[in-house]
Amino acid sequence: MSNSKNFNWSGWLAFTLLLFLWEYGSRLSPKLQLYIPPISQIFIALGGLVFSGQLAVQLWITLVRFVEGYLLAAAIAVTLGVILGYLRFVHSFLEMLIEFLRPMPSVAIIPVAVLLLGIGDSMIVAVTVYASIWPVLVNTIDGVRHIERTLVDTGRTFGLSRREILWQVILPAASPYIVTGLRVSLSIALILVTTAEMIAGSKGLGFFILDEERSLHSSNMYAGIIVVAGLGYTLNRFFLTLESRAMKWRHGMSAREAA
Amino acid sequence: MMRESRLNGFFFLLGSLAAWELAAQAGWLNPLIVPPASKILNSFSSLVWSGQIPLQILASLERAAVGYALAAVVFIPLGILMGLYDAFHRGLEVIVEMLRPIPPPVVIPVAMLVFGLEDEMKIFVIFFSCAWPILLNTVDGVRNIDRVLLQTAKTFGLSQQKIMWQVIVPACSPQIMTGLRVSLPITLILVVISEMVGSTDGIGYFVLDSQRRFKVAQMYAGMLALAILGYALNQLFNLLCRIFLPWHVGMNKRME
Repeated sequence: MSNSKNFNWSGWLAFTLLLFLWEYGSRLSPKLQLYIPPISQIFIALGGLVFSGQLAVQLWITLVRFVEGYLLAAAIAVTLGVILGYLRFVHSFLEMLIEFLRPMPSVAIIPVAVLLLGIGDSMIVAVTVYASIWPVLVNTIDGVRHIERTLVDTGRTFGLSRREILWQVILPAASPYIVTGLRVSLSIALILVTTAEMIAGSKGLGFFILDEERSLHSSNMYAGIIVVAGLGYTLNRFFLTLESRAMKWRHGMSAREAA
Repeated sequence: MMRESRLNGFFFLLGSLAAWELAAQAGWLNPLIVPPASKILNSFSSLVWSGQIPLQILASLERAAVGYALAAVVFIPLGILMGLYDAFHRGLEVIVEMLRPIPPPVVIPVAMLVFGLEDEMKIFVIFFSCAWPILLNTVDGVRNIDRVLLQTAKTFGLSQQKIMWQVIVPACSPQIMTGLRVSLPITLILVVISEMVGSTDGIGYFVLDSQRRFKVAQMYAGMLALAILGYALNQLFNLLCRIFLPWHVGMNKRME
């Protein structure tokens, strides 16, 4: 957001003002309170749910599903992407299929997954995998295709084995694209996990939030949303930190290329 | 070369469909889960001709269009203001950063609480989820405008209004377009989700409802319709870009 030496006073002031407006606006109107309880009540509910351990359980369930789905999708998509990016012949066969499947809103796959896998963890993970594959796959294909052939040829000339070329030439060269795809997939995976939990789940944060809405416990619902937002924020931060560590070498490299 | 690769893809698609059909006819696939492709296509065409699928798509499209347009009308001007005035940007930054990590589907329960199952519910959800790509891209676009451009305009004595419409808006419109393009699939996804969670019509409801009634061919037909819709919307967007921003391609070239 802002670093310590450059604290965004006006921003936090505006945010605090908004919270005050929420608190007192809601207190003044009993009708509004049904939908938008005072923020203090939401935090009391949040505290209660955290203390009872209820939220931690739901958060853990959602997190496990997310991590499983996301990592599986990344592994499949990068592997497939390298193959399709490198072997144009194979790509030419699958290109149309990909073009056809990709524009379909991924959530439409949920009913099929319910038919195939029933209601449960495996369905939610499968749906997450399906949706998160596309950005990584398309970006990886793009990245591999943009590698200069001289780079690969140089590797060959120096007598690198196929495996060495893959790990030391192709993957590093395509990594900026792959990372872009992975970043896009991060938020998609979270969307899919929560959606699947809402539509066909009996556990997890998505289910919790919708369930609390249906039982008209609006404070609990907002508390759940705060936790999901926190999860989204943390995951994103975590990803950016990993990315800047992993891609550090890239800085020097592109500078060298430019020189 | 290009033609040949398209041909490969086409034949592969055709071959997969044929293999699917044969496997289904031979009884290798559970018809309750994966019916034969021909049955799905039949169901699709009868649903299209009976007007059922077009009707559901129209209901969804209406919600999607209103939410999307509303987000554009609100967040493009807001983004321009935030990009131009740093104080404004700093004032709103924290609020934006607090709201942005909320996964959009989670907003559906809130919208249901406030709006019930009406159209407003879906429109609000779409509005919320398109807000961030549109807003942040617009801010970025305005901030990246060459300051010399603005100063030149001032030197030539252009009025504030002229600067806005003839310098700022054209200069950041490619970025605005990026935001709008990213929002397009998000809109479609969110309209489907919100119809699945709380609706009695729309294509999202149609697909989920077909599954719950075990009308499997009908469910796949609805998905096919969604795929076509997604593809068509994307093509339409590209077409509009080429009509309204034809100078964009040339401009970028000149800049390099």
